[in-house]
Amino acid sequence: MGKSIQVLQLRHVDAGSCNGCEQELTALGNRFYDMQHSGIDVVASPRHADGLVVTGPVTDTMKRPLMQDWDAVPEPKWLIALGDCAAGCGVFQGAYACYSGVASVRPPDLVIMGCPPLPQDILRQITVWRKTLD
Amino acid sequence: MIAALMTKKEWITNNVRRKNLGAHVLGVTAFAGGHIAVHWLMPSGQVVQDNWDMHGLEFPSLTVELPEMAWDEREIHDVFGYRPQGHPDLRALVRNPRWPDEFYPMAGLNAPQKPPWREVAPNNPEQTVEGEGVTIMKVGPTHAGIIESGHFVFSIIGENILHLDLHLFQNHRGVEGQLQGRLIGSVAPLISRICGADTVSHQTNLAMAVEEMAGYQVPDEIKWQRILLLESERILSHLNDLAQIPAGVGFSVANQKALTMKERWQRGLTVIFGHRLLFDTVHPGKSLAMDTAALGALITQLQREWRPWRSLVQGHHGFQDRMKGVGMVRQSDALRFGGQGVVARASGLTFDARQLMPLYHGWHVDYASETSGDVSGRFKVRLDEVEASWRLMQGVLQRYQIHSALPFWEPPTDLIGQAATFSESPHGLNAHIVAVDRGKVIRYHVRSGTFRNWPLLSKAVAGNAVGDFPLINKSFELCYSCLDR
Repeated sequence: MGKSIQVLQLRHVDAGSCNGCEQELTALGNRFYDMQHSGIDVVASPRHADGLVVTGPVTDTMKRPLMQDWDAVPEPKWLIALGDCAAGCGVFQGAYACYSGVASVRPPDLVIMGCPPLPQDILRQITVWRKTLD
Repeated sequence: MIAALMTKKEWITNNVRRKNLGAHVLGVTAFAGGHIAVHWLMPSGQVVQDNWDMHGLEFPSLTVELPEMAWDEREIHDVFGYRPQGHPDLRALVRNPRWPDEFYPMAGLNAPQKPPWREVAPNNPEQTVEGEGVTIMKVGPTHAGIIESGHFVFSIIGENILHLDLHLFQNHRGVEGQLQGRLIGSVAPLISRICGADTVSHQTNLAMAVEEMAGYQVPDEIKWQRILLLESERILSHLNDLAQIPAGVGFSVANQKALTMKERWQRGLTVIFGHRLLFDTVHPGKSLAMDTAALGALITQLQREWRPWRSLVQGHHGFQDRMKGVGMVRQSDALRFGGQGVVARASGLTFDARQLMPLYHGWHVDYASETSGDVSGRFKVRLDEVEASWRLMQGVLQRYQIHSALPFWEPPTDLIGQAATFSESPHGLNAHIVAVDRGKVIRYHVRSGTFRNWPLLSKAVAGNAVGDFPLINKSFELCYSCLDR
């Protein structure tokens, strides 16, 4: 990929989530999961990030801010859809102000399902998927 | 609706009188076809309803007399196209420039279709302060952490915030529209996910609405389990907020230890109720199989971890000093703007919806209240409420026993009626106004506790240092999802 990544730095974007996926993503920072120990971090700026982790079905209002954040991430970059809503199979499918998940903006590189996904599943799936990047 | 025709003046005086009697507004609900209903929770626990039938597209605004109605009426204006006559600030709240001019999603009886969104930016006009030395600082809608989306426009001078203009509803999905026309028996998974932090409260409101419309009295065992679930959620949410407040001032030890307690609580609840956030746990007329001994042991384990943590945060002078006098909410503002939950109870108000919920009749609850109105008051109320919830749960567990078999009950599929239900969520009075015809939802309106508190946040930050915004914001810890819907 032309860029050796030892720590995967992600910027979080909520695009219409219920706050469930946010809580579990936050839990990854507690001492039970300690994602930094596994080489995963959530960073403050898309400029510092290797990719986005997106929650929610993508509301119409959040579509542009999401694309702007994506454009601000330097190449090479990856897009992760976290949770059923972002995966396009959540309960808000069909609501008038929603799209059908992250794929309606751009095909995600990794989809983590669950409502919300368990913290250990998020950690394991990102870890396994990262190995495919080298 | 059989109601004598009311004049505009009577409409206003009626509603003002209810407020002056100490009632709490559950919701201002518009219905397709030009009808407005205001549901009030009276101090007696009775829910009363004032109705206004529109001729044309206008109804008299209550906002000048009752400023807490400002956002309700703006929302109705945005999604129904009904105009509140005399409203002092009708800027778009939910809508934005991407919405087609004629698109009023809730004006019809059916679930609204997706409109052709206009290809422009979603930004609404901003309300800012102008003058020499005033800087405009914009934050969001995406944030530098793991937070829900919202856009904040600060007017600042030097370090100090002059004004905060909130641009929320970035996460507006159209849930109330989505519910329109659905079978009431099929909406539970959606209601459970209106808000990841107040899910049990929302689920309980739905269950109570269905039972009320069907005229079904639930057995005590089911009521007790609902109390256990509602209190488990309160503790879960408060532990989260109690972790976030120290994080707002860089007190990492207190933050990490509280997150650890939250994680242990969640792991225990998963074993007992099957879900880390308690999604899909409350159902009309039903209860879950539950290991009461395991729940009792979980509480004892958490209490052991809690006591040294409480001493740590309360004995830390630096932390206590950082919270004092910051982000003040005056009692008069909390009352005038209809503030709810922890925010109101930290400002000298004593209302807690559990006092009026039939579910809690006969149970002793130690209600918390503080008068300081600052971050430290909101922190302290949560500390006391966590302990009170554990005590209440232990009391319920002592009496809890399942008799050999609970009656089997399924809600009728041809349900007809209207119900206004409420509960005390971790974020305050949470109300659902539900109308059903032959089993199908004709209107489902959700008014969560945070809806009343967001305008107060804007008031609380004015005059504070901009660097304290994260701390003040964390002390409110308002959810965006059940506001935006």
